[in-house]
Amino acid sequence: MKKLAQITMLFLVTTLSAFAQDTPYQKAMKKEVAKLTESDSLPVLQQSANAFGRIAELNPGEWQPVYYQGLAYTFQGLDKSLSLDKKDEVLAKADELAQKADALSKNNAEIVALQGFVLMAKLNADAASRGQSLSGPVLQTFGKARAMDPKNPRALALTAQMEYGMARFFGSGTEKACGYAKESLAIFASQDEQALKAALVPTWGKSLAEKMAKSCQ
Amino acid sequence: MHFGPLFPQFIGPFPKFGNGEFSCIYILLNFGSNNSRMKIFTILLFLFASLAAMGQTLISGRITDQKGAAIPGANVYIKGTYDGTSSDATGLFSFTTDEAGAQLVSIQAIGFKSQELTRNLNGDAVTLNILLAEAINQLNAVTITAGAMESGDEKKSVVLKPLDIVTTSGAMGNITAALLTLPGTSTVGNDGRLFVRGGDASETAIYIDGLQVGNAFGSTTSNVPTRNRFSANLFKGSFFSTGGYSAEYGQALSSALALNTLDLPLRNQGDVSIMSLGGGYTQTLVKNDRALTASANYYNLAPYQSLVKQNFDWEQAPSSWDSEISLRRKWGNAVTGKSGMIKAYFHTEGSHMAIWQKIPGDSGRGDFVKLNNRYHYGNVSFKHSGNKGWFFYGGLALSHNKDAIRLNTDHIRQLNQIFHSKIVAVKDFSPQFSLKNGLEFFTKSYSEALVDENRERQFTDHQFNHFVEGTYYFSNRLVMVGGLRSGHSSLARQTWFTPRFSVAYKLDNQGQFSFAAGKFKQLVEEKLRVRQTDLKNSAATHYILNYFLVNNNRTFRAEAFYKNYDNLVTYSGPASEPRNIALNGSGYAKGVDFFLRDKKTIKDTDFWVTYSFVDSKRRFAAYETKVQPTFAPKHNGSVVVKHFVTAMKSLLGTSWSWNSGYTYNDPNMPGEMQRKTKAYSDLSLSISYLPKPNVILHVACSNVLGRQNVFGYQYASQPDEAGSYASRPVGQAASRFLFAGLFITISKDKKANQLNNL
Repeated sequence: MKKLAQITMLFLVTTLSAFAQDTPYQKAMKKEVAKLTESDSLPVLQQSANAFGRIAELNPGEWQPVYYQGLAYTFQGLDKSLSLDKKDEVLAKADELAQKADALSKNNAEIVALQGFVLMAKLNADAASRGQSLSGPVLQTFGKARAMDPKNPRALALTAQMEYGMARFFGSGTEKACGYAKESLAIFASQDEQALKAALVPTWGKSLAEKMAKSCQ
Repeated sequence: MHFGPLFPQFIGPFPKFGNGEFSCIYILLNFGSNNSRMKIFTILLFLFASLAAMGQTLISGRITDQKGAAIPGANVYIKGTYDGTSSDATGLFSFTTDEAGAQLVSIQAIGFKSQELTRNLNGDAVTLNILLAEAINQLNAVTITAGAMESGDEKKSVVLKPLDIVTTSGAMGNITAALLTLPGTSTVGNDGRLFVRGGDASETAIYIDGLQVGNAFGSTTSNVPTRNRFSANLFKGSFFSTGGYSAEYGQALSSALALNTLDLPLRNQGDVSIMSLGGGYTQTLVKNDRALTASANYYNLAPYQSLVKQNFDWEQAPSSWDSEISLRRKWGNAVTGKSGMIKAYFHTEGSHMAIWQKIPGDSGRGDFVKLNNRYHYGNVSFKHSGNKGWFFYGGLALSHNKDAIRLNTDHIRQLNQIFHSKIVAVKDFSPQFSLKNGLEFFTKSYSEALVDENRERQFTDHQFNHFVEGTYYFSNRLVMVGGLRSGHSSLARQTWFTPRFSVAYKLDNQGQFSFAAGKFKQLVEEKLRVRQTDLKNSAATHYILNYFLVNNNRTFRAEAFYKNYDNLVTYSGPASEPRNIALNGSGYAKGVDFFLRDKKTIKDTDFWVTYSFVDSKRRFAAYETKVQPTFAPKHNGSVVVKHFVTAMKSLLGTSWSWNSGYTYNDPNMPGEMQRKTKAYSDLSLSISYLPKPNVILHVACSNVLGRQNVFGYQYASQPDEAGSYASRPVGQAASRFLFAGLFITISKDKKANQLNNL
């Protein structure tokens, strides 16, 4: 019994020390990623963007903080309360960050999906006059992300959203859009979210996929 | 196009991240209570924590702009650490740091210049009240809109989107026709070119990717309207200036039209067009950072003219073919450093027509005119952004136009060539100030020959230009641009300097005022110049005041202008045999114009209304007094409406253009330019039907009401026996023009289409 306790203890100590080995970078990232996924207001999103900016400055070789800073600005650009000028300002920043992330990590499907997301937010900011010129580039960018990683659930969910809007506009069927939504949802379900989070890779987007799948019913 | 609110909020219910950190600490503490060594460790940990707390410094304060207004969301942190925070809605912030000694505090906020301050941290609270200065943001800053009308997707100060140029009813895919629905222009139905604010068509210079295009309009005979040679789907945007334009452009008294070609196309695709007038095919290939587009088209009006009665006496209906190739390659990444793009574009075409033109007072078919045209245009252009705020662009272009004309029994050959090379360097010294320097070299040559008689005359002129232009932003609201263009012509033996100036100020309500002024020079048209090669420049001075407001899918633009002309070309005798050619003319044009565009008031409907008033008089050509030129009607208006019907998958369009009539000279009356035609009016309708996203059926009809528009009268050169000059009206080719086209796009992306071709 004592032995068992010792083994358990040893096991616990190992796990703890593994946790303790989180670098300040990892710690900061985990904390801020958790905050970003919970944030629902412009000030919090800006705080999040600022925090990732601080992390990025200290870790210039990592693409994740730049990616998340860009994501925080993209979320801001979708806020209906902002004026068009303000939306364009934050989305220009998001675009710049997405390109910066791309330069840090080439051919990364996550980053290409973010680039498409930024374009989609730009389209969304003034859909009446940007729909025609931007819908092609948005779909093309998501297509590029899917080609790099056919199993990227965010690229799939975002494609679903864009295709859904296009189908409604042209009055055509939503089967294609719904196919993407379903596929995205299945991938989200099969993933080990905690493991991905520990590896600091993006995990957001499940609720979007769920919402798209719901619209399809 | 209305996508509507299809993109709802993404922000919100994301799955929460577990609070694993706290549970681990709990285990650690619990665990420690059963182990003495661990107990010591825990105590040590606590001790360490309290020691650290003693070394903490509280940094707090408020961040405001220069007017004292709070800046929320600013990033305040100690450089080189994770310690920092964001300012709240009232600009207040506070955070603690374990760092000690001299530390750099960095403050950043979008739209403001960053600041860094050094503070000595020793545990005593530090208060920082910081004023941030506004940063110049090209995205939202004021832009100069005097005289300028932009079309494009990116900028805010645009009046048209690229797509508008081609979906405007009545334009029939002709860029020029779409621009004629904008303020400051006049429709001259028997010519088809661009007439701007009392200026004739030669006063507008046209550029593709910054390089001049010679003979941008198809060759034609008198009173048969022409159209722009270049397809609207080549271009991503345009910059059309009706006056007061940048020092970058010269040799145009009235106007500059700069067309910018598409960068990289989206995908590989083939575009088929089958039209009532002909057909064509375009293939686009894209790979990584490279693209190739090749197209060929053939048009012939004969089948159409055999079905629809024509007012013109055609011997051979106009027919033409064209073919073009465009190559593009880009490099680098714009955000991380050097990047650029090179484009090459080649266009070649040929056209034929033969027509009988009636002579007033003569009962026969009149003069026989046969025209064969061959045209080539090619350019290679590049742009490159370098380090340290440098930006370079430039290129080479050659236009070559050959007309073989048969006028009754005479064979005439005219050859016009323009070579243009240009290199421009732009340096951003700071976000406020940038300086542009450019060098240009032109060779312009023209020859005309009477082939049977073996007689020829020609000239070649070398022109050298330099321009410099500085742009200074005092703030996001106030910008000033000053420039100087200088030039030298070897043939005219003249050197000239033309200063340009503009300023714009943005008001609180998104509206803005701009003012522009400048001097402009232009050498005489080649057909006169070849007769007398030492002719120097004509001159114009522009003053323009503009108000521009874009708000919520509505655009309003009002502009007042005054233009003064000097040294206009004059001669005596008929235009076909001018004598005593000199630069003795002068004149003026003044007026106001208005433009209102609204995409909001009526659902799924986009419309614009234009009104231009021009009061212009000039002594020019063979006129002995100042007259109102025939190409400058006093009142001009247009209304363009586009309505999207989702249920019908169709875009319905209509446009109406109107003016108060063209002046003309009646030799039967004393004086000059005594008379005016009745008002001109044209109502056009069009429908674009998209049965599938990649198929478009487009049908358009101009002058639906069949109005008999008259553009002026021609008079016999000699009076008849009764002593009066016989006349005949100059009218339209046909009462109406009907166009139908089917456009199919073949690509992997089934939604791609050719909306741009309509």
